[in-house]
Amino acid sequence: MRAERPTEYNEDYHPVDGPAPEWPEAFARSAADREALACLLAIPSLTPRRLLRLAQTERAASACLRAVSSGRMGRSADRDRATPGRGRELLQRAAELGARFVSVGEPEYPRVLLDLADPPAGLFVIGRPLSQLEPRVAIVGARNCTATGEEVARTLAMRVGMAGVAVVSGGARGIDRAAHEGALLATGRTIAVLASGVDISYPPTHRELFTEIATHGAIVTEYPPGVRANTFRFPARNRIIAALCRAVVVVEGAKGSGSMITADHALDVGRDVLAVPGPVTSDLSYAPHRLIREGATLIRSADDLLEELGMAPSGWHPDRASTATAPVPLTEDEECVLGALHGATPVDRVAMDSRMEAPRVLGVLIGLELRGAVRQSGGRWERRPGWS
Amino acid sequence: MYGRVYAVAVVGISGHVISVEASVGRGLPALALAGLPGAGVQDARERVRPAVEGSGLEWPLRRVVVNFSPANVRKEGPGFDFPLAMGVLAASAQIPGAPLRDYAFVGELSLRGELVPTPGVLCAAMAAARAGLRGIVVPAGNAAEARLVEGLEVVPAPTLAAAVEFLKGRWRPEPASAVAEEAQPRREHADFAEVRGQAPARRALEVAAAGGQNVLMIGPPGAGKTMLARRLASILPGMTRQEALEVTRLHSVAGLLSGDGLVRERPFRSPHHSISVAGLLGGGSSFLRPGEASLAHHGVLFLDEVTEFHRDALEGLRQPLEDGRIILARAVGAVEFPARFSLVAAANPCPCGFQGDGRRRCRCPPNRVQTYRQRLSGPLLDRIDIQLRVPRLTKGELLGSEFGESSADIRERVEAARSRQHARLSGTPWTSNARVPGPIARRMARLTPSAERALSVAVERYSLSGRGFDRAVKVARTIADIHGSETVEDEHVMQALSFRGETAEEVAVAG
Repeated sequence: MRAERPTEYNEDYHPVDGPAPEWPEAFARSAADREALACLLAIPSLTPRRLLRLAQTERAASACLRAVSSGRMGRSADRDRATPGRGRELLQRAAELGARFVSVGEPEYPRVLLDLADPPAGLFVIGRPLSQLEPRVAIVGARNCTATGEEVARTLAMRVGMAGVAVVSGGARGIDRAAHEGALLATGRTIAVLASGVDISYPPTHRELFTEIATHGAIVTEYPPGVRANTFRFPARNRIIAALCRAVVVVEGAKGSGSMITADHALDVGRDVLAVPGPVTSDLSYAPHRLIREGATLIRSADDLLEELGMAPSGWHPDRASTATAPVPLTEDEECVLGALHGATPVDRVAMDSRMEAPRVLGVLIGLELRGAVRQSGGRWERRPGWS
Repeated sequence: MYGRVYAVAVVGISGHVISVEASVGRGLPALALAGLPGAGVQDARERVRPAVEGSGLEWPLRRVVVNFSPANVRKEGPGFDFPLAMGVLAASAQIPGAPLRDYAFVGELSLRGELVPTPGVLCAAMAAARAGLRGIVVPAGNAAEARLVEGLEVVPAPTLAAAVEFLKGRWRPEPASAVAEEAQPRREHADFAEVRGQAPARRALEVAAAGGQNVLMIGPPGAGKTMLARRLASILPGMTRQEALEVTRLHSVAGLLSGDGLVRERPFRSPHHSISVAGLLGGGSSFLRPGEASLAHHGVLFLDEVTEFHRDALEGLRQPLEDGRIILARAVGAVEFPARFSLVAAANPCPCGFQGDGRRRCRCPPNRVQTYRQRLSGPLLDRIDIQLRVPRLTKGELLGSEFGESSADIRERVEAARSRQHARLSGTPWTSNARVPGPIARRMARLTPSAERALSVAVERYSLSGRGFDRAVKVARTIADIHGSETVEDEHVMQALSFRGETAEEVAVAG
């Protein structure tokens, strides 16, 4: 007997030998099967892997639903909720929210997902058809990221966006958000893969961001409306991010972070894993550095990434463009102070290295900040990308 | 038989001369008090009789009625023991009535008839002088503060018996030893020279000392915020006599004077964050006592871990930060305590303390960081001109940076900057840059055209609010004063902008 706790996705994920099972041809073709499938996707104990196994014997979604309601599959608590009526409600609710339900076997269903050992049986999509958002690259990383990481992700997303790439990420705080924002700045072609139903905004503060993504790009989730973003859904969501894309770029991530899981999934389905290095002193460099040591390609700029994708560098430099005030040459003091900035440097250090008095250094730093050359974080100063 | 003497009721920091009438008449031996005596005065009933008898005088074994008039002023505190005793002695004809009318009496009695030092004697002496009395008889321990009042004879009496002898003309107190007020050395302070690095924070405190500005330092634990703030006392400029008298008055009422009269150094108060609203702003159930904010009048109120203070207490600081006084409204009336202090606050950037530290990772969820920061309300932050981040320096960075200037050197600049301000602000109601209202500060600042341009770029770039703009102008003006410059140059504006504090966006981004 199983312990009565929410099933963790990882629990029965990891690889199996032999040919992977596939979804039966007519698994969710009829309207009744689609309703049954929507209902099945809302059942927490029924992981995609288990549903897939069940589908091998039952052949159709409505038969699977009957297996659950009769108690042959899933937990007893799920039995009452496993009704076609509930599936109909969920589909109706999704339609009200402007979401399409794309089940496996339909033309809009991205075939790349079938590379997964446990592809989702269906997706709820708001926004553009996924086929219009290609080629795709995932940019993922820490939620609790640094200002530098955020800027790197944003710039990267914006520049590959300008080159026509759709940026996929998880809609979380930090790097994910920066990646989406960067893509929105370029062409808006970005996909947020959520770990909850389309009606639930997690984190709540990203509601506006999601609205914007749905307008210009697409919101994708495996879960029917009303499903909350439980902890165990995040790793499951990450497999969809990995499989949707040609490559996964990890920007910042601490030990044991979700970015590592996304990278693992990417390797499982044969996608490229790329990583942007960071300072060796930072905890958040753990994931990218570990990946690079294990063979991931090191990414320094959007050009590197485009090269990996076999696309021509765009030749457009937003780093330089954002510092439009640059033409005025730097003063001697400014050169001197800029030269004394090595990573995040406290004013005391700058004063020592530049042989200037600290109050004067403060003034010069503000002058440089007004020009967009440096920035402050936590009382330390650093150069912005593009200023050497 | 009837007798009358003068006493002083202290309400807030102002004294009111009142008369204490005593009548000894027929009836069973008893002591009745009338005329709104507070709980502290009721206490006196028990103390006065043993004190009189212990002084070798006689307590009339008849019905004694004592009345305090006018009856509408509340009489609080132990300072009424002495006038009460004198009133009874006058009514029982044990002391001559004539000299009594020239003096006010203030003090608490011990059971043996000694006069015990009492809070608020300076306020009482000022009231006596204002009422045109010739002198005041005070406990010997309070003589120094009472003598600060010019044109008032101060009689320091060690005991009740001595006071009686004085009134009979048989005893004279020794004349006050002429201790020159200026001769007192400054107290020893921790010196800025002992601190390595943290030059921006040092500069911020120098500006605060020179311009009377408020400072907020945000940084991880171990950055040295507290260490720096404590050294602020060593660079504060001296006080004028008028300022010193105001401070002494407040400290007198709070019973904090240590006996050598005038408080010459600007107070530096650092209450713990568990302090109550009444403790910080003043209050009390019967006798209203000035709070820490008032005790920091003309000095510095240092709030370490400012985010941990009770919200009501912090919000209560808005009034004194705005108009330099605290008004306590009670059922019996409103009492005003002056409280014009420089606020110096220190806080961690987030609950764990390491947000933006770079070396240790902050584990606080963003919404908690936000909640934590919101403990300092917008209106309060608006009143803090200087806000800066203090990084925790690595060992290498610390060893690489120089020891700072000595406090004496900094203080010299601060004094010079102050006198420049006084000269510029003479003829206005304000004495420091921080107090000048925004629009007038802009007009008086004398910005050079290029400094004006720099400021307007900053307004755009940092999306400064009107208030943020005014703060930058005032801080820039103070920095120019420190540099001895008549006009405010670019450089001063730029330095001032480094103390503008973080915008909400920067708070959210700092990782």
